[in-house]
Amino acid sequence: MNRFAVAQVESPDQAVELMESKRFVSPVYKAGGLDLLDHLKEGLIEPGLLVDIRTLAGCADPIHQAEDGTLRISANATLADIARSPLMHEHAPVIAQAAHSAASPQIRNVATIAGNLLQRPRCWYYRQQQFDCLKKGGHQCFAPDGENKYHAVFGGGPCHMIHPSSLAPALSVCNAHIHVTGSGRESIPITELFHAPDQGLRSEHNLSPVEIITHITFDPVPHSAFCAVHEKQAFDWPLAMAAAALVIESGTIRSARICAGAVAPIPWPLPKVEDALRDLRIDDDGELDKACSLAADRGEPLSQNAYKLKLLPVAIRRAVQRAIARNAEAPQ
Amino acid sequence: MSMRDEHIPTVMPTTNRSANIGATLNDDTSRLEAIAKVTGAARFSRDVYLPNSLFVSFIRCPYGAAKLESIDTEAATAVQGVLDVQMSRKRGQYHGQPAGYLVADSPSAMWRGLRALNAQWKPQPVKTGITDEISGPPPVPPSVQSLLDEAENTLDTVYTTQVQTHASAETHGSVVDHHGDTAILYTSTQGTFAARDGMEEAFGIPLSAIEVRCEHVGGGFGSKLRAGKESLIAARVSAKYKRPVYLFVSRAEDHLDTGNRPSSRTYVNIGFNSDGTILGGRMQSYGGVGVGGNGGVHVPSGRYSLGELARDHTPVRFNGGAERPFRAPGAPQGAFVEELMLDEIAAITGVNPLDLRLARTTHDDFREMFTLGAEHIGWSSRAATGSQKGTIRRGFGIGSGSWERYPARAEAEVVINRDGSVEARTGTQDIGTGNRTVMAVVTADRLGIPLRNVSVRLGNSTLPIGPASGGSMTVHNVAPAMMQAADDAKNQLLALLADRLDAASQDLDIVSGEIRRGDETLMTWSQACVKAVGQPIVGRGNRTQGVARYGGAGHSRGVQFVELAVDVETGIVRVKRIVAIQVCGRVMCRKTAENQVMGAVTQGISYALFEDRILDHNLGSMVNPNLDMYKIIGTADIPHIEPIFYTKGQTGPRSLGEPPTIPTAGAIACAVYNAIGVPVRDLPITPDKILAALEGDAA
Repeated sequence: MNRFAVAQVESPDQAVELMESKRFVSPVYKAGGLDLLDHLKEGLIEPGLLVDIRTLAGCADPIHQAEDGTLRISANATLADIARSPLMHEHAPVIAQAAHSAASPQIRNVATIAGNLLQRPRCWYYRQQQFDCLKKGGHQCFAPDGENKYHAVFGGGPCHMIHPSSLAPALSVCNAHIHVTGSGRESIPITELFHAPDQGLRSEHNLSPVEIITHITFDPVPHSAFCAVHEKQAFDWPLAMAAAALVIESGTIRSARICAGAVAPIPWPLPKVEDALRDLRIDDDGELDKACSLAADRGEPLSQNAYKLKLLPVAIRRAVQRAIARNAEAPQ
Repeated sequence: MSMRDEHIPTVMPTTNRSANIGATLNDDTSRLEAIAKVTGAARFSRDVYLPNSLFVSFIRCPYGAAKLESIDTEAATAVQGVLDVQMSRKRGQYHGQPAGYLVADSPSAMWRGLRALNAQWKPQPVKTGITDEISGPPPVPPSVQSLLDEAENTLDTVYTTQVQTHASAETHGSVVDHHGDTAILYTSTQGTFAARDGMEEAFGIPLSAIEVRCEHVGGGFGSKLRAGKESLIAARVSAKYKRPVYLFVSRAEDHLDTGNRPSSRTYVNIGFNSDGTILGGRMQSYGGVGVGGNGGVHVPSGRYSLGELARDHTPVRFNGGAERPFRAPGAPQGAFVEELMLDEIAAITGVNPLDLRLARTTHDDFREMFTLGAEHIGWSSRAATGSQKGTIRRGFGIGSGSWERYPARAEAEVVINRDGSVEARTGTQDIGTGNRTVMAVVTADRLGIPLRNVSVRLGNSTLPIGPASGGSMTVHNVAPAMMQAADDAKNQLLALLADRLDAASQDLDIVSGEIRRGDETLMTWSQACVKAVGQPIVGRGNRTQGVARYGGAGHSRGVQFVELAVDVETGIVRVKRIVAIQVCGRVMCRKTAENQVMGAVTQGISYALFEDRILDHNLGSMVNPNLDMYKIIGTADIPHIEPIFYTKGQTGPRSLGEPPTIPTAGAIACAVYNAIGVPVRDLPITPDKILAALEGDAA
């Protein structure tokens, strides 16, 4: 990797100032540093400066609940913090489960929630120097005619990456707000955090290079759940992920939020499934199954990944059933 | 057996280990270097950083085939700390092929130099697999056809396996410390003595002036049997600059250019009758060897009588890194073909796969182990293939394997010091599988003293010669030599002691660290050493005499029984249990032997379900040269593994390193077939293939 300087900063303002100063070439933020290290080792980026925002003071309690019930996770909370948080298990199980499903115990101990959201694609063409792909300023996506078993089945083109974040679909069904600093604005809804490849290739999110996520807030979603299908049970990127958040009254689904992961370049909302789930009885397995099967509609598989369209409805049905079972267990 | 219903644990179970207790020379010794390894104190060759070192990196072709259009060696050598760039070729024939190398005085200067080279490669057309060359087998010869025509049933199909890279924990490489007239080669090798063969020219000094050291080796699986290009270049550079040189390749380079288990494609036409009698047929295999090798598929194995078989094999070249031996070369591929084929015949004829094997097996050892394994796994609870309807379907499968006992020259020394300490010496290496521990155990056993008195020196070419750890040759060749050396040392000690005590040495013995005459305890081991040993006693042994004295002959044979569950909605396979029964002679050290079996089975599962070197079919580049997308089994995927040693009164040790990895993939393929009712004839058995197979079945 190249030589770089590391700056420890004490405030977001100081961090922004360093990023904007011209003293260093291509400065970048470093929090958990996991995806950053992968990039440095492969020579995909050559920053002159790492601005370490890992230790920027969040609150002493990285995960807490305000008096009005709002849940708040600080940007530096690790996936391990979140996975074992009693607050999350009680009020937003989809978040705890999504955090738990990611990576390995070692990585979860270091990886932050903000880093999980902003990590770059794991596409094997993007990750190797010799493929001058669209995301690196090249003129070609190598996936459609190449090895695309793990690529997008929705929303692909011109780049066919999948968004790797497990927290992104989970936070999407929570209608979370991403709180930021550095550019004047204070927060953006999670649904506006990401953009499709046709809206810009060199980044997957809509933050400016100097903006820093400070924390994330959302209302409780007690009847929620996550399901990821992994080829390998230890430390593997999922083939498909599903997040579900339900509002259940008297044994009936009043409303549903459903979002898929690992199938599209952005967390993939499934409004047709949400509509079809509405007003279904929670014990009507046949109708639930039919509603979830709509998840495969309008899929655009590449040559090697049509199987994902079989997996996705299963993952969604399992997430929905897990959310329903959670409802049955939950104290009234 | 309620264990089958439990959740897969994240720690290795200890249940059923009692099967082996008492059947082994040593039951309770843990790996001697275990603490050093888990604390990081153990120094692997990759950890050797010498003062004033140079660092060398290969310059490699990034595509399956490419022409080097430009490279800026001047810019690279202008980088501060870069000493030299040497180019050897302008065309590449596989991703990772070295085209030259760069020498620098620090890793970061090396990295900056490589960047400054700004190598421009123009991709050329590539072939990336067997099917790029072979569209199908030649027609079945008329003689075979008439045999097939006689049969009541025939099976005409193709079995395929992927390329598996060795992916050892420690990558390939060497550190060379050249002193002018002599040199030390710290290397990651499976053969202390083989590691310097043919290296005289690169070093510029005679072979005898080169000392090889490998105190700890992080695996090899067959890819580190001789000096590689890493050692060669490191030696050349060290000789030129008279400075130590560090050359260890990266994880990516290790995947690309240090060998692999070649892919295979085996076309089978076989005829059989409704009672399960197999008449024979034709097997035509192709080995996907990349740029070189044979890629053999070891089928038929000889373990089953399969009638009259016409057999042919052809290696197929394409733009991929060359094969190297990989833990039982050709055997897991062949066992996968043979076992799944047997289960397909069983399903067609309605014969139970266990009964079919009992009827077709060629050796009583297998018949007995099949019966024992069936009991242990609970074979009677197996549902008929394709009969299950639920989401989670259970499957049972059987595999088998066999391996020879290859003799190799081995010598050993056992030194007894006046202070009572004992040193067991062998030049052979411990590649992580327990050689060190086994040598300590057999030495202590033959001397009749506690293990704590014994230390082991190994992994050094100045020590007594022994085989490379390939072909499962280490323990069964070196242990008899070490036993004889220990006996020789013991006899020398007792002779000296008899002299001092005015006794007859044949009346003396050493038991549990005490010197005995009959039932009488004369003194402790330490007292005896003080009394009798002046200059150290050196006992010597060699393999030929050792084997004659301590016995041991014959093949290793093994069977494995798998129980797994397939989720037919997702195609995910969870292996629940594997019972691994092994004939391997007398087990020297139970724990390391069981561990050897567990490791072999684990690697076999990984081969069956996960690992796959994927080459981009347009550019020929490996798209997954890492441990992120090259999927190696992790702890959560490892089931209960129950090693059972089937010893039957055998005396000496036999092969164990390779045999237990042979049956696993075949057994898993059979179990998946049993669970879902459709055979998946293509490794690795991944969810997409299972879902496709099920869909084909429904359609």
